[in-house]
Amino acid sequence: MMFDRILFATTLSLLTAPAVAQELVAVKAGRVITMAGAEMKNAVVLIEDGRIKEVGAKVEVPWNATVIDASDKVVMPTYVLAHATSGMDGGSNERMANVPFLSVKDGIDPSSSFFEESLRNGIGTLNVIPGNSTLLGGVGMVVRPIGKTVEDMAVRDRSGLKLSLAASSGNKVAQIRQLRRTLRDAEDTRKDLERQEAEFEREKAAGATEKEKFEGKPDDSKKAIIEFLEGKIRGYLYVPSAAEVNEAMRMKRRWAGIDLALVAGPKTYKAARQLKALGLPVILDATAMQFYEVDSETTEETLVSTAKVLDDAGVPLIFSISTSTRSAQRYPWWQMATAIRNGVSRDTAMRALTIEPAKLLGLDKEVGTIEPGKIANLQILTGDPLKATSWVDTVLLEGEIAYERSTDARLQHLFGTDKN
Amino acid sequence: MRSLILMSLCATTLVAQENVTVFRGAKIHTVAGETIDDGVLVVAAGKVQLVGGADASLPVDAKTVDLSGKVITPGLVDASTSIGLSTRDANEQGEEVTPQVHVLDAVNPQDKRFIRARRAGVTTVQVGAGNLNVIGGLGAVLKIRGVTTRDMVLRDESGLRLTLGAQPSRGNRSIRFGTPVGIFYRRPSTRMGVVWEARKAFYDAMEYREQKTVPDGDDKPTGFDPGMEVLVRALEKEVTVHTTAQAEHDIRTALRLAEEFGYDTLIEGGTEAWRVVEELATSGTKVLLSSPSTLDNGARADGAEFRYHTVKALADAGVEFAIQTGPEGTPLDLIQEAMLTVRNGLDESVALAAITKIPAEILGIDDRVGSLAAGRDADFVVWSGSPFDPTTRIEAVYIDGEETE
Repeated sequence: MMFDRILFATTLSLLTAPAVAQELVAVKAGRVITMAGAEMKNAVVLIEDGRIKEVGAKVEVPWNATVIDASDKVVMPTYVLAHATSGMDGGSNERMANVPFLSVKDGIDPSSSFFEESLRNGIGTLNVIPGNSTLLGGVGMVVRPIGKTVEDMAVRDRSGLKLSLAASSGNKVAQIRQLRRTLRDAEDTRKDLERQEAEFEREKAAGATEKEKFEGKPDDSKKAIIEFLEGKIRGYLYVPSAAEVNEAMRMKRRWAGIDLALVAGPKTYKAARQLKALGLPVILDATAMQFYEVDSETTEETLVSTAKVLDDAGVPLIFSISTSTRSAQRYPWWQMATAIRNGVSRDTAMRALTIEPAKLLGLDKEVGTIEPGKIANLQILTGDPLKATSWVDTVLLEGEIAYERSTDARLQHLFGTDKN
Repeated sequence: MRSLILMSLCATTLVAQENVTVFRGAKIHTVAGETIDDGVLVVAAGKVQLVGGADASLPVDAKTVDLSGKVITPGLVDASTSIGLSTRDANEQGEEVTPQVHVLDAVNPQDKRFIRARRAGVTTVQVGAGNLNVIGGLGAVLKIRGVTTRDMVLRDESGLRLTLGAQPSRGNRSIRFGTPVGIFYRRPSTRMGVVWEARKAFYDAMEYREQKTVPDGDDKPTGFDPGMEVLVRALEKEVTVHTTAQAEHDIRTALRLAEEFGYDTLIEGGTEAWRVVEELATSGTKVLLSSPSTLDNGARADGAEFRYHTVKALADAGVEFAIQTGPEGTPLDLIQEAMLTVRNGLDESVALAAITKIPAEILGIDDRVGSLAAGRDADFVVWSGSPFDPTTRIEAVYIDGEETE
């Protein structure tokens, strides 16, 4: 974890390197939703070298600052997605179920329209991770939606290992058994290596070997699982329904040192109390804002908001968005509004796509709110973020303009204002 | 004069006998006329008795429902859905031209999608035949009430489905060498073939009509053809042809065919209507625009290109259009579709009319539903705020003055 942090810091300093020339940017905002305390009216967000220096109504704009006039607009932090299963060339689910050795890094397509769409929707940080349809799907990566190469986009590699309890074969028990067996196998390999190492140390002490260091390594196919079991890499466990929550509880008991986050399907609402008791971070599936629960006996349909049920049970909410272009669930504003429509408070809903996922990703010191010291990832909207008529006008990532609606070619094409 | 007095007496008696309910305090979008800020809606016997401001004189002893801070709109009208039909039921695949079939004969009133739609504020739907036939059959307008289609039907034979483009030939195979072993070895297998099947059907109908004028006698052709009867009624403009056309050239073909045979048509789907705005405006053709929220062109039929500005371009050119959720696939949320058109630049009032008054007019049921005025059915939705605010909840849906579940 520590190593991760250092790596992250290094990556960032590299990323902000071009801006070292003491660049000052002042965003004059009509309204600032800081997501850290009260909103501000007619305030200035002052950015220095890609980080927020000051925020407030009384902040003076230095003479040499580049001014972005958003005095008739709303400024807020860019959204953070803790679980994004798109942007990969050729899909997010390998056809084989057990592929912990895969990495989204090898699949991310920087030119994917998903990243373009992310910027258009005000998303600044994404944990791109394999989909829910495997057993062990591979490791994820935290990226920014800009850059020509994966390296440009990278915020943090190996963000977590994807595990899924969704039975692709339709047999829940088989899926659970296979997951348990795979983890046990990896544990056996790990113990075996420990034994070999102990043996090596003995041999070394006895002068029976010329080697300086133990060179045994798990084969690549098990590396990620062993890291997960040792708590070095987080597991993102997809739990489709209440029935599988039990297995998540068992996994947590069985493997004491693991770092686990749950990705909860809509049908987990029945296990809201258990989810609360587990105390693990929970990321709600895009369809969990509201869905139709069908009673198998009467076939009656009831509209259920898993977000609301979990909120009532005291589970901190983290939202995700749909990757389907057919659904309004692809819009962060729609997701938040749907939760609010179902009774979740406005603040909770907005936190669920900003500071809460930032915390989950261990990036809450860097992104998720507008506060001095944080990375200047801001979105400037034409109006309130929860109004259907509001559009993201500008996105600043690390203080630099990453998106402008006025030059969004795709949007202009869709609105027929392009030259064609 | 006497009858007038009698009528008003009747009305008074009615009011005295029936429960009168006064809904007050809400902002009322009548759609028929002005929006009233602190409005009063009086309902009795399933009908709207009065819509007015706070100063309207109210019947005494009426039950009063306080809706201060709420918003009332007419019940929404979804001009094209497949609710109540499975894809198999919506397409009679025995023949390519089946004008004689009625969707009403296949609608399943127990379809849960009816209740879903109603909970989403939709009180009236048109169910149309599917798009896998060239001429698919007669649609029906239903109110989401009761337990049988008889309870539900507001207007049968509301439109005749004609489908252009590649859909009707989808799956058809041409006969080459072997023996045809399935019904799908048949025409049409091209776009040309689809149009020809339609044209041939109307030629046949014209001939059928001609032969009916032959005086009784030995030469008089016998036989009554129900399908031809329907097509003749289309030619006589008694039934509107609902032409499904998504791509630009198919929309143009739809207009051309209608002109050629002189029948009334409207365009359904109309993905590329933005390319044909002028022709639509000139010919006064109305459009039932399907799922304007969909961005994924791959999901649309005939590879038609969708654009965000379609709605605004149609509105600006004066083309009358309704927003509908589409007869194919999973039912979408009508208000959500309208909300996304507002996001794309349409005025809220135009968007609201496009899911209430306009579809009611297009379907010929505007004397009953689609707006709130004295004498109309008391079908309305109570919203917690503006219907176009995504955080707004639906608090109640009334049909014929009764609150629905």
